[in-house]
Amino acid sequence: MRKKIVSLSLLLVLCSFAGILLGSVPLSPQGVLRCLAGLDRDSTTYVLVNTVRLPRVLGGCLAGMGLASAGVILQSVMNNTLASPNTIGVNSGAGFAVMLALMLGGGFSSAVPAAAFAGALVTTLTIFGLAYMADSSRTTIILAGITVSSFLNAGINTIKLIDADITVNLTTFMIGSLSGITFDSLRLPSAAICAALLLSLFLTKPLNILGLGDDIARSLGLHVTRSRLILLVLSSVLSGCVVSYAGLLGFVGLIVPHICRRLFGNDARYLLPCSALLGACFVLVCDMLGRVLFAPFELPAGVLMSFVGGPFFLYLLFKKKGGRRVNA
Amino acid sequence: MLEFCHVNASCSMVPILHDISVCFQKGAVTTIIGPNGCGKTTLLQCLNGSSKVTSGSISLDGTDYLAMPLRERARRLSFLPQVRTIIPTLPVKTLVEHGRFPHLGFARRKSRQDIAIVEDAMDFTRVSPYAAQYADTLSGGIRQRAFFAMTLAQDCDYIVLDEPTTYLDLNGQREFMEMILKLKRRGRTIILVLHDIAQALRISDTLVIMQDRKIAAASTPKECLQQHIIESVFHVRIKEFSDAEGRYYFFC
Repeated sequence: MRKKIVSLSLLLVLCSFAGILLGSVPLSPQGVLRCLAGLDRDSTTYVLVNTVRLPRVLGGCLAGMGLASAGVILQSVMNNTLASPNTIGVNSGAGFAVMLALMLGGGFSSAVPAAAFAGALVTTLTIFGLAYMADSSRTTIILAGITVSSFLNAGINTIKLIDADITVNLTTFMIGSLSGITFDSLRLPSAAICAALLLSLFLTKPLNILGLGDDIARSLGLHVTRSRLILLVLSSVLSGCVVSYAGLLGFVGLIVPHICRRLFGNDARYLLPCSALLGACFVLVCDMLGRVLFAPFELPAGVLMSFVGGPFFLYLLFKKKGGRRVNA
Repeated sequence: MLEFCHVNASCSMVPILHDISVCFQKGAVTTIIGPNGCGKTTLLQCLNGSSKVTSGSISLDGTDYLAMPLRERARRLSFLPQVRTIIPTLPVKTLVEHGRFPHLGFARRKSRQDIAIVEDAMDFTRVSPYAAQYADTLSGGIRQRAFFAMTLAQDCDYIVLDEPTTYLDLNGQREFMEMILKLKRRGRTIILVLHDIAQALRISDTLVIMQDRKIAAASTPKECLQQHIIESVFHVRIKEFSDAEGRYYFFC
């Protein structure tokens, strides 16, 4: 298992490097390495790497990690494998709050991640409350999530219609994209995402215990309500912060945890780090393809993610009919 | 000794039990029997907080059980609930290892002792051959034994089981009763809910009979039979036969 985590980490390093290297203007590996080492400070490569490629790769990395981990957490906490930041409306909640903050707050940038987090948390708690009242029927949660999502998406559209001055490209925001990320816009979200990721890695044991169902979790001495609340807050931080700079990137949060369940088993101690790493790789690769395929035109990462991820996920779904996983 | 003292309890805000006092002797097998809906499960759920104790007290070997931290409770009393709404897609071994959860420190690392206890529990319930198989792919009987192993891995003096034989076939039930008696010989206290009265009569030191959310009787199987309590609570007649191998009970 440790080997798998190490190889996934290496894969992530590789993807990150490729993400810096490739783009509408291809760079040479030597040049990039020299820039990363702090040499050639006045070359165009240095400027390109430090102001465009590096923040973009870092943002993509954190987006993938955040959304995939949030997916794993939500699935375990709600005991529902269909849960993900996208399907239960958390992303839309964050998105709606972002738009609201932009409309009311103008250009005040640190308000955006905070609003995204608040929107994500309120939506999560609402959905969870609904699920609790409806006796946690799995279909009900997803239906409620879809309903709340479309309601909030309508809200996003309305805000954009009311206030056309908002400096957000609505289409890219709704699909999710990593273009135009700067170190400045990343500062607060990245700190929050890293902290939440670290904390959730400490909480994988309770996450596993919650997955056994409330009754058994209680018998094993877990504070069910408290742990669930902490984990829901963490997942809201993770997905909210990603939405604040990358828009409504979908899909990673649903399919990466599922791919990892098939490849690495359901034990959260491994599932969470593996999903985070694979999620990051997935976002980076999709973003890179989006930049390279039709250069100089750019496809938003969200589009590529659906194009690449969808068929791959279907392939996984049908490849192992009957048996549900490879040995963990 | 586990003692319920004037306990009122409610389940999802609905009051179920009113003024229940009952006591479970240490080192004995106590079986709770009673018709469906008489409050057996609610009584046991007071032990893990799935039912809420609204007044009264529960004491475990003289200490206030309800004031104990949850983790401490789970180190002294293990409770296997009845309902399985979720069947985890985990290997049996991982499932059993979860039983060590209340004993793990902050780092949550397994010590050699933890590993030994998990292996013991799996050997005892004979699920070791299935260690690597996923719990959701197993038959109901083996899965139930795996959950039982998880409960045993908690390594508590008090073991509480809510209808543990529901998923077992006849042979499985017989083996299960043998396991219970073996645990008793090892000094464990066992409290369980059974629907099979004949089994309850055979293995219990004390029977707790519940009716209409009240304790109708709590005494030895012999006394319960002599006083015809079972017959009046369950509306049956009991016939008893015995031969060289033991006693048999029939209900009609």
